[in-house]
Amino acid sequence: MAADLSIAVPSKGRLKDEASELFERAGIGLRKSGHERFYRGALDGLDGVEVVYFSAAEIVHQLKAGRVHLGVTGEDLIRETLGDVDGSVEFLRPLGFGRADVVVAVPDCWIDVDSMADLEDVAAQFARAHGRRLRVATKYMNLTRRFFAGHGVTGYRIVESAGATEATPAAGTAELIVDITTTGTTLRANHLKVLEDGLILKSQAHLFASRATSWDISAIKLRDAILTRLKP
Amino acid sequence: MAAESALKFEALEAQATALLEIFRRAGYEQVAPSIIQPADIFLDQIGESIRSRTYVFTDLAGDELCLRPDLTVPVSRLYLERHPSADRPARYCYNGPAFRFQPDRRNQAHPREFRQAGIECFGEMDREGADVEIVLLAVEAVRSAGLKKFRLRFGDIALFYALLDALSLPERWRLKLSHYFWRPPVFHALLARLASGERPNGDGPVMALADRLAGLPSERAEELVGAYLEGNDLPLSGNRSLSEITARLLDHAADLRADPLPREVATVIDYYLAVSGPPQEAANRVAMIAKGAGIDLGPALYALVRRFERLEASGIDLSAGTFATEFGRDLEYYSGLVFQIEAGGERDADQIAGGGRYDGLLCHIGAPREVPAIGSAIHTERLLAAVERGS
Repeated sequence: MAADLSIAVPSKGRLKDEASELFERAGIGLRKSGHERFYRGALDGLDGVEVVYFSAAEIVHQLKAGRVHLGVTGEDLIRETLGDVDGSVEFLRPLGFGRADVVVAVPDCWIDVDSMADLEDVAAQFARAHGRRLRVATKYMNLTRRFFAGHGVTGYRIVESAGATEATPAAGTAELIVDITTTGTTLRANHLKVLEDGLILKSQAHLFASRATSWDISAIKLRDAILTRLKP
Repeated sequence: MAAESALKFEALEAQATALLEIFRRAGYEQVAPSIIQPADIFLDQIGESIRSRTYVFTDLAGDELCLRPDLTVPVSRLYLERHPSADRPARYCYNGPAFRFQPDRRNQAHPREFRQAGIECFGEMDREGADVEIVLLAVEAVRSAGLKKFRLRFGDIALFYALLDALSLPERWRLKLSHYFWRPPVFHALLARLASGERPNGDGPVMALADRLAGLPSERAEELVGAYLEGNDLPLSGNRSLSEITARLLDHAADLRADPLPREVATVIDYYLAVSGPPQEAANRVAMIAKGAGIDLGPALYALVRRFERLEASGIDLSAGTFATEFGRDLEYYSGLVFQIEAGGERDADQIAGGGRYDGLLCHIGAPREVPAIGSAIHTERLLAAVERGS
């Protein structure tokens, strides 16, 4: 790293746009430098900072490996991906965008099911009737496992879902889902309802610091400068 | 990451050869089930707690596969492949690697790639004989490997089910309690709730519907529930049928009116699950609890006592062993006697070998009938380490 501090920023989608706006408002706009295809850049008015662009999921790995000092990504991805969250990253600042709730949702025709406790009862009944476990479609395998274990729900199995998770119960490839929702509209449109105690995580984008990289004086100064500018 | 899969390769090989020789002499045919297994069977039978520690992957054809996390399921599949109608007894032994992710970093006692040497006995109708045979063979095997000091720990899933059957309980609670047996913390909370007479929350349109269902025959109840779903634009999805949803609402309705679980019944279950001690003593204690409650545990208790007697008659000293009613509650496919061979101190006990009866498993993986089955596996790395420590 030639620069004193490196910061990873989402390279596409809503998160990218919102992150750009955030830095713009703070007076340290993201500036793409040199060869744009290398996905590198700098911050306006703050020398010594290198901006690198990655997907939000990849930023988690970059932070974990200590290849960047700072990173902007979603708390959901951090908690899903990292085995030891507190040992790997520090939560520096919630950024107020990228809000999404990770929730447990079941078909709304399951009028006998309101809570996680109901779910374990249903799992037992389902195993007796169908000879197999309830299937939970999700891309949040670790969040799901931890949350279900915390509620004593064990009679299920996860089917990994890369996209259109909310459609799996109607398609018959899963019985219920764990997914993100912002307004609940998509869930309702797919005849799903969130369990009363089914909120796993209220997520938003944060500025994270890696604990796996070296923080010398100049890196710390630049980090503090960024935090000061980002003050709401 | 260790560059070598097994430290002390030669010592382990020599130990495995000797163990297999003992198994073969006892009439167990050596088999080598596939290391790569379909993930489905493990996930459906054992559930997410094992999945979180199983190396699951998708191959280029899109099939979901895993590195076997243990050998019991693979050997059971092998038996069914050889004998699809599951109509004859078979005894198999094996030695080979199994794989489990170790979340708290790997150490010598818990490597992520480890070896199991074991035996599985299928289709033997003389369950008592097979139970005794397996325990004796496992003990002989660890002894011949040089393990001198060890303790036996027993549990019996069938005895708990016999207790539930003997107690007077509504069927819906019996089902619930036997299901939650595998989730001890939830089990105790459930028992307390049933005994306190806490009723389900009686508000809301759904509970009003449940209330109307009370006492109705299931067909009539299903009609009402079907009409409710239709009227509220709630199309059926998620693979649960109208009758399943209705059945749970009928249970709700029954719970709304039910008397609490009698305090004596809850106490009997609590007392039972607290029993732990030397096998014969513990069995006597269970008999006393049953007598005090005026129930008959009949054949299940008698069967357990007879197994202990036969083990003692075969020279196993059970006085240092333990029978605990709670033991064996972590692997859901067990259905009867479970046991473990432990070495080391009480506190840092090392599980050298374990095993148990799993009569229901083969049905779940495709056998046309219930197949009596019991097996035992030895953690050979731990056995070697214990022998070298001089246990």
